[in-house]
Order: sequence, then structure tokens, then C-alpha cells
Amino acid sequence: MTLSTTDTTWYPVASSTDLPLRHVFHGQLLGRELAIWRADDGNVNVWENRCLHRGVRLSIGINEGGELKCQYHGWRYANRSAGCTYIPAHPADAPARRITNTTYPVVEAFGLVWSANNGAGEFAPFADAEAGDWFALRPVPVNAPADAVIEALEQFAFAPADDDFRAETVAERLPGLGIRMTARSVKGSSSAVFFVQPVDAGRSVIRGLLEGTPEDAIERLHDHNATLTALRDRLERAAARKPAPEPLTPSFEKVSVELSTMPEITIGSALTLRAVVKRKWATAAGITAFELAALDGNHLPTFQPGAHIDVHLPNGLSRQYSITNGPGELLSYTIGVKRDLASKGGSEALIDSVREGDVLAISEPRNNFPLRRDTIRTVLIAGGIGITPILSMARFLAKSNLPYELHYIVRSQDQIAFRDQIDALGANVTLHIGLPRAAIAETISKTLGAHSFAQHVYICGPGSLLETVRSTAADLGWPDEAVHYEYFRNDRVIDDSSAFEVELARSAMTLHIPSGKTILEVMREAGLQVSSSCEQGACGTCLTGVMEGTPDHQDVYLNASEKRANNCIMTCVSRSLTPRLVLDI
Amino acid sequence: MTIILYDFELSGNCYKLRLLMSILGVRYDIIPVDFYPGRQHKSDWFLKLNPLGQLPVLVDDGLVLRDSGAILAYLARKYDPSGLWFPTEPAQLSEVLQWHAFADDITATASAARLALGMFYDFDLPKVQAGAHRLFRLMDEHLWFGEREGRDWLCAAPHPTTADIACFPYVMLSEEGGISRMDYPAIRRWTDRVRRIPGFMVMSGIFPAGRAAAE
Amino acid sequence: MTTPSPIDAVTRDLWQVIAAVDETPVGVVSTTLLLDQRLAFSRDSEGNPVVWLRTNEEHGDEIDLATVTARLPVIIGYGYIWTSFGNPPDHLFPIPEYAESDRVNMSCGSIGVGSSAPRIVENFLDMGHFPYVHTDILGAEPHTEVKEYDVEVSEERDEVLATRCRFFQPRAALSATEGIEVEYIYRVPHPFCSVLYKSCPEDVSRQDVIAIFLQPMTAETTRAHLLQSMIDSTSTITDLRRFQQTIFGQDKPILENQYPKRLPLDPRAETPIRADKSAIAYRRWLSQKGITYGTIPMAS
Repeated sequence: MTLSTTDTTWYPVASSTDLPLRHVFHGQLLGRELAIWRADDGNVNVWENRCLHRGVRLSIGINEGGELKCQYHGWRYANRSAGCTYIPAHPADAPARRITNTTYPVVEAFGLVWSANNGAGEFAPFADAEAGDWFALRPVPVNAPADAVIEALEQFAFAPADDDFRAETVAERLPGLGIRMTARSVKGSSSAVFFVQPVDAGRSVIRGLLEGTPEDAIERLHDHNATLTALRDRLERAAARKPAPEPLTPSFEKVSVELSTMPEITIGSALTLRAVVKRKWATAAGITAFELAALDGNHLPTFQPGAHIDVHLPNGLSRQYSITNGPGELLSYTIGVKRDLASKGGSEALIDSVREGDVLAISEPRNNFPLRRDTIRTVLIAGGIGITPILSMARFLAKSNLPYELHYIVRSQDQIAFRDQIDALGANVTLHIGLPRAAIAETISKTLGAHSFAQHVYICGPGSLLETVRSTAADLGWPDEAVHYEYFRNDRVIDDSSAFEVELARSAMTLHIPSGKTILEVMREAGLQVSSSCEQGACGTCLTGVMEGTPDHQDVYLNASEKRANNCIMTCVSRSLTPRLVLDI
Repeated sequence: MTIILYDFELSGNCYKLRLLMSILGVRYDIIPVDFYPGRQHKSDWFLKLNPLGQLPVLVDDGLVLRDSGAILAYLARKYDPSGLWFPTEPAQLSEVLQWHAFADDITATASAARLALGMFYDFDLPKVQAGAHRLFRLMDEHLWFGEREGRDWLCAAPHPTTADIACFPYVMLSEEGGISRMDYPAIRRWTDRVRRIPGFMVMSGIFPAGRAAAE
Repeated sequence: MTTPSPIDAVTRDLWQVIAAVDETPVGVVSTTLLLDQRLAFSRDSEGNPVVWLRTNEEHGDEIDLATVTARLPVIIGYGYIWTSFGNPPDHLFPIPEYAESDRVNMSCGSIGVGSSAPRIVENFLDMGHFPYVHTDILGAEPHTEVKEYDVEVSEERDEVLATRCRFFQPRAALSATEGIEVEYIYRVPHPFCSVLYKSCPEDVSRQDVIAIFLQPMTAETTRAHLLQSMIDSTSTITDLRRFQQTIFGQDKPILENQYPKRLPLDPRAETPIRADKSAIAYRRWLSQKGITYGTIPMAS
């Protein structure tokens, strides 16, 4: 039998007990190394043992519970998706969402962790597996080829339960380099299965399961370990007499062209996916929470703290909602929706007409509100429904054990959303309930204090709160780069009276923008594919580089210094102060 | 009264002492010895301290001590008021000393392999690598059954001892000798536990473990 | 043993470092591996290095150097012995600072590393790993940002040059709110060598120089030779060596856990970010030169 790196058989690659929390197991299957780790939610990840950035083994990295952290540059990869959520060398940027490590299918069953190459079919347990109660033996690594090991096991039939009585033992081959041994004697029958994990061309691991948990468990484990190590020694002596087989050489998948070229920051396209409303509940007065899960039960795409999704509503509208989840929580996204009578009916449609079990179209997560994790102090300020992205940020900071404080401003006790999650954050949270409007500025001022090195504040809430925090922070000497906020809506009145020329440098095209039409609209009319989302200068999707000319910024996405730099523009609302604007598109 | 450690940063045997003193909160001064490339441990002035020409040497208030295992015992007896790190109850003491001897075997194999590959020492590399694997197999089995029996450390006591300190460095540095620990998952979990002992410190070649899960 | 890798023409003609002069005693024959070939080297009675291909007939360290006729080219530079299998240039790349009379120049030991020479150069150019690999020495979390810097490939000097490289180093404790931004300049004047200039604490107008000269023993194993050329009137050589060995000892497990061990020159093999500008320039430079030893060349 020749092993192949493309074999798609399911093999056991670890014992369940090999994977305590906050540990990374170093495994290998068919020549390919694996980093295997259990997240705090119990999920087992089987990944290629190689950070996509520079190829360093992830098995020397750190399991942070919801994310795996590479030892070389601290890149974080999310539980389940293996998507990169943070690149410390560029703390202010959201990493390209599609930086994703290679993952392998995984099933944890019968005390073992099973995996296979991608493209494998559904995991099919060995015959009668489901009926049994299985007790995992100590795995025994053997420096011998898998076929030699399975043959030796077959010839070496022994009674699984008790070596003392004269039992007749039958060994029967199972698919996937497995052997079932059944012993029958006057005393009864016992059974065990053994699988050979093909580690590499000349290396294997014997993984055994006894049927039923023996009473004298430790003694049985010792006995079987002694039997298998004796077998191992024989196999290794035989293998040492033959020339060592060439190790398998699995190939490494290339990264996409998009990722191989710098810069790595990309504004995601508006790919949509379908999600089912798993749970809908009132989380606070006027706020309804929705838990959205993938239709097939798989995990959802990677998100970063501060990210939002577009939810496409039954009435044709689309609205943006922040993800409240913590690190590595990808089985569902939880969002909070506030009943907003002033809106065009988006929230109403969700709250009133969407029920549990309904299917919604949502976008992949996008992040316009990235969280730095290179701070000495992070102040998070949420007002009302603004808690949603802030909650996610707090949960990421808490898990990485970074210093932060969360100030949650609500009118009354019953308006506190996601109470259980808030309480779980403990003393890091300060609730400000029913703070008089006049007292808000003073409270913010006291909270922020004077700015010092590596301090950042993140604000999400009503426009008035944003303005208060921004002006208070400015008064206290906080630089623009240290004040982070996200607008969901642009309340400013857009002046679209100007007319000007736009030259598209890369498309070699000049367009006339008349008054009453946006740059975005004219570009689309000219046949260009340009992504956008909110189309009111709030979300950042249509961000475009400016090469010449002075933009007339009318958005609320860019901060004051970004606006002053005049090197980018929101084409959905902003215009030009100069007769001609050259865009990098 | 100060403790002076004659020390080479890349030496696992010197690190054993830095590690235990860090855990016990013992203050000490370092006199660096240029072991490589300077070979100062074979120089006249050093041979006066230790005629065997080996690091580490520790001087405590004028008392000159050599041999990392012996110094571990000395430091633990003298500076660990709990008495746990180096127990005196006969059975426990013997168990710790067995592992001190085991640690010396690890030094003779895994550390030799590291010196051969990293500093071009003339050792029989395949032989010392095979020797290290033989020891690691025994150790992995011992630790695996320990996990089943509720024992986290090398010795039976429910807390780490100098046995763990003595064995840890050259196990952790084995990959520099071309000795992978992939086949020793129980050893890998034990190294996580050692790296989470309060007061743990690293040396070049050893990274810290992340935080343990909250209880 | 793995089969020897073919030596590309550029690599064949390079000067290759093999040992520190001071660590090569007169009259004693040492052996080493260079580009998969076993070399013997020594210094004659006048102290001049002699390097030759080790043959199977030779035994022991006793050999009359006068009988060695098939000598390889030799040059001494920066305290090291360099040789070549081809037609090397007249001079080594320049490090002018080395000749300044008030500098302390020293070798820091030749360390074996289980990785390719280009991987080691790339790591030497990298700042992003400071907080994670050289924790509390060259950097510390949470201060992890790699600020914009400049990279050019100087055609005139045929070298990669990264300037305006800055990294934040906390002064003492993690909680320190003050720190210093250390400025670096990196040069890659030879495919397997790199030189670093670092702000000098003792004299703000000058820079300390740290260089790494890599001897590719095979395509995937390397002897790393370190040079320090410092303005430092207080530290001993032992102190300065200890510092450099501490740093390199921290890089070693990273390098040995990196794979493939050869540096992939296809941009799609790994995921570069802006901070990796110098590494990308280095990979392109190697690719344009046609260096295949220790690399995985782009599929043509």
C-alpha cells in the first residue's frame, strides 16, 4: 500500500484527552503537519500547522480560548474559521477578511479526534460504533510505515478484555486502516478497535478503543500500553532493517493574488449569504436581539470586533447592524435592533415581521470600526443601542486580557441590552443610568481624563453623544487618531449643487459630474463596477483614493485629520472643491 | 550577602538555577561567562572555581557550589520556606533524586545534540538523538499515566519539585538538537504546566505559555 | 543525508564566510560545510588562512599546509575568513564603520541554524516580531505597530536598503507610559549577509553596527556568524556577546519552526503586509539575481 498526500480517508489524529483548554496539540497526517486545538467553547480545530504570513508552525503559538495567536508576529486566527482577525504590526487596520488558514474537516467521536484531507466525504463511523461505549487507550507512536503496522496488528490478535483466559480472538479489517478484535470465551466476549494513523511514510500512531469502560481502568491501560509498546519495538526493529521510506511531501496551497499584493486592507465586496433566525428575543425595552446562524449549521465568516453586517429586509430595504459576539464565536451572529420610529421602516420590518426560523439574506461582515489591541488603556463608551459593537470589542479585549473600561449610558435600567453578557464582563463595566443630559459631558470628561500615550477611546451611540465625546476629547487634548467612532447614519444635509470633472486614473476615463448627481452614480452609469453600501457617507464602503484635486468632504466616515489629508473620498456623497478631481480607480 | 551566578545565557543548566530563583523570588547577581565562542569555562580563573570546567557555578555568601542538580537542591532547601520544592521525606527525596539523574541523562543526550548542531561540538549526533528519544518515550508514558492518576508533575507530590525544573530546559530546547516533541503529547502538556508556574521566566529558545483557562 | 542542491552561478561566484579569524588557531585544521561541500581550513605560520576542499584521504588534524596545493580563494573581512567556489569579486561589500579606530569589533560565535540563509536574512530585516520574540528587549506588547519606512534597491551598490525604520521600545516596565523610538537602517549588500545600523546610546551622532554573515552549509542548514561593531566604552566583550547571543537565541526557534525552510520567492507562497516591504524587496532582488540556493524559485 502506498500512502498518498491526497488520500481522503478519515483517520484519528488525536485523543480527546490530548486537547485540554488553552493548549495546542502538534499532529501530522499523511505528511502534513497539523495544529489541533480546542477553543473554550469546546470546538476542536484542525488546521494546517503553518501561519499564512511567514510559515511559522502554529503549534508553537498560543491558544487564547477563542483565537490562536502566532508566536512570530502575534497574528490572531479565529476559532472555527481560521480567519485572521488581527495583525499587530498594523493595529489600526482591519485585516483583509480572506486571510484564512487552511482548515481540515474534524469530528470528535468515541474519545478520538478524526480528520481527513479536504474533499473527504461525510465522516462514517466504523460499524457498530454508535452502539458502543468506547474507552480510548494510550496512543502509541511507531516509527514504521502504516501498512506494516496494520499487518502486525492483524497478526497480533489478542484478547482486548483480559489476557488471562484462553479466548479465541478474531481480527477483522475495518475501512480506514482499522482492525476490530473480538475475543470470545466461556467467560463472555470483548471487543476493541485499533486504528493506524498514517503520520508520514515511515511513521504511524496506533490508536485503540476498548468497548466499554473497564472497572480497573488504569491497570487495563497499563496492560494494553505494555502490549502495544512491545509490538512497537518489534515493528521498529523490522523497519530499521529496511531503508527508510522517503517522507511524504504535501504541497502548500498558494494564497490568492489579492492577498499576495500589498496593501492588505480591502473593503469587502457585498457578498451575501443566507442566515436563519435561530432565536429572537427582547433584550431591553425597545431593543430586540436576533441570533442568526448559517442554514447548513456550519460556521459563519470571520468577523473582527467592531464589524457589522448588512441585513436585507423583507421589504427590500437594507440595514446595517453590528455583531455583538466575542472572539471565535462563529456559529451565529447576535445583533441588536432598536425600534426606530423615525427610520424608513427597516427596524420595524425586522422586529414586527421576522420570526424565529425565518431566513434572511445578510452580507459578509465588514469592519469600518476596527479595534486596536496595542493600547495601554482602552475606553469604550456606548449610548443605548450603540452597545452592540462596543460589547464585541469588550469581549475581545477581555479574552486577550487587555486593560479596558466600558461605560454604558442608558436612560433607565430596562434599557440595558445583553445584560448577561454585560454582567459577565464584571468590574470593567460602569453603568450610567439616567444621567441628565447636562451631566453627560462632565461624566465623559472625568472618564477620559487627559490623554497620554497609547490610550484610545471608542464611541458608539446617538449623534449627540458622539459629538459630546469628540469635543470633550478634543478639549482634553486627545488627538483625532485616538478617538474612534462609527456613524450608521449621516444626518448632515448633503449639498450636491456643484459640478466638476472626475478623471479616473486607472480606468483612463474622464467623467462630468453634474449637480444633483453623485460621483458614484455617474461612475455606475459609465459602466464601472463600484461597491457601495449605505450611500449616505457613513459606512466607508465606497472609499476611493484621491490623487489630485481637493475633495469637498460631506461624509461622516472620515475623521478630521483624514479629511484634511485629502487623499481619499466617499464617492457616494462627497464632491470636489477643485474643477477637476483625479481618483485612483 | 549576595548570590552570584556564573552564567551563560544559552545554557539550559544555568537556566535551571535562574528559573528556580525566579520562582522562589531569590535575588542574585550574574557574572557572564563566555562559554561560546570564548571557552572561558576552561580558562584558568574559572577552573579555580570549578576544576571540572563546567557551568553553572553559584557562590552564596562565599560558599562555592557546582552541578546544577546539587545547586537546585541547595537553593530549594535554603530559600523555599514551604519545603515543597525539595522534600526531605525519604521516599519523596529519592524520587526527586531519581529525576535529577534522569535530567542528567537528558543533558547527556538532548543537550549534546543541541551543542552538536548549534555550536558544532563533536558528538555522535544520531546516537545522542536516539538516546533523547528513548528518554522522552519513558517520560511521556510516565506523564500520560500521571494525567490518568491525577498527577500533574514528575513526582508523586501534588506540586512541582526541583525534578520538574531539572528536566524542563533540555526537553524544551530539544528541537534545537533536531529532536521533535510531536510524538510526546503528554510531555508537551507538562511543558505548558511548567511554564504556568507563578514566577516562571524564559530563556532564549523558550517562549512563555499563554494564560491558563479561568477556573 | 539529503542530496546536494545545485549551486546557481551567482552563488558560486560570491564570497562565502566560513569562520572567525580569531577562532581559527594557527596550524590546526578545522572542517566545515559550505554549499553541501566539505571544506578544510587553517591558518599558516604567518597567520594567513588556507582553505581547501576536504578529500576523503585526509585524516586527522595533522597536515602540512605547504602540501595543500588546490587552495580555494581566500579573503579576510570584518574579522572573518571568506572563500569562494567560483570567481569572486576583488572586494567584499563595504562596511566603512568597521575601520573606525574607537569601535569595539567582535565576533559573537558561529551558531548553527536549521533553516536556509535567506530565511535568516529575512528575519534579520523584520521588526514586527520584536514584541513577540524579543519580548522586553527589542519591544513589548502592546506596542506592536510597524510604522511606514522606506525601501530601495540601490542599483549602484547592488543592495537592498531600508531606511527610516522605527520601532517603539518601552524603557522598563510594561506599564511604562514613556518609551523610546529606536531608529534602524538595514542593508542587504550580499544575498546571504545583512548589516544593521542602530542609534547608539553613547553617542547620538553615531550608530552601532550589527551584521549577520550567513554560511549556507546546505540549502536548509546554515552557520550564522555575527559581528558587532560598537561605540561602547563601558561594556565588556562578554557582555556584548551575551546580548547578541540572547537575541539570536530567541530567533533560532522561530527560524527552525518555519517551513518550507527554503525561502519561497513566489509572492503567492505567503501573505505579505505593508510591514514586510523590505522582505518583499529582498525576495524580488534574489529572484532577479537568479539565486536558487536556499530558495524556492518562482515557477517559470
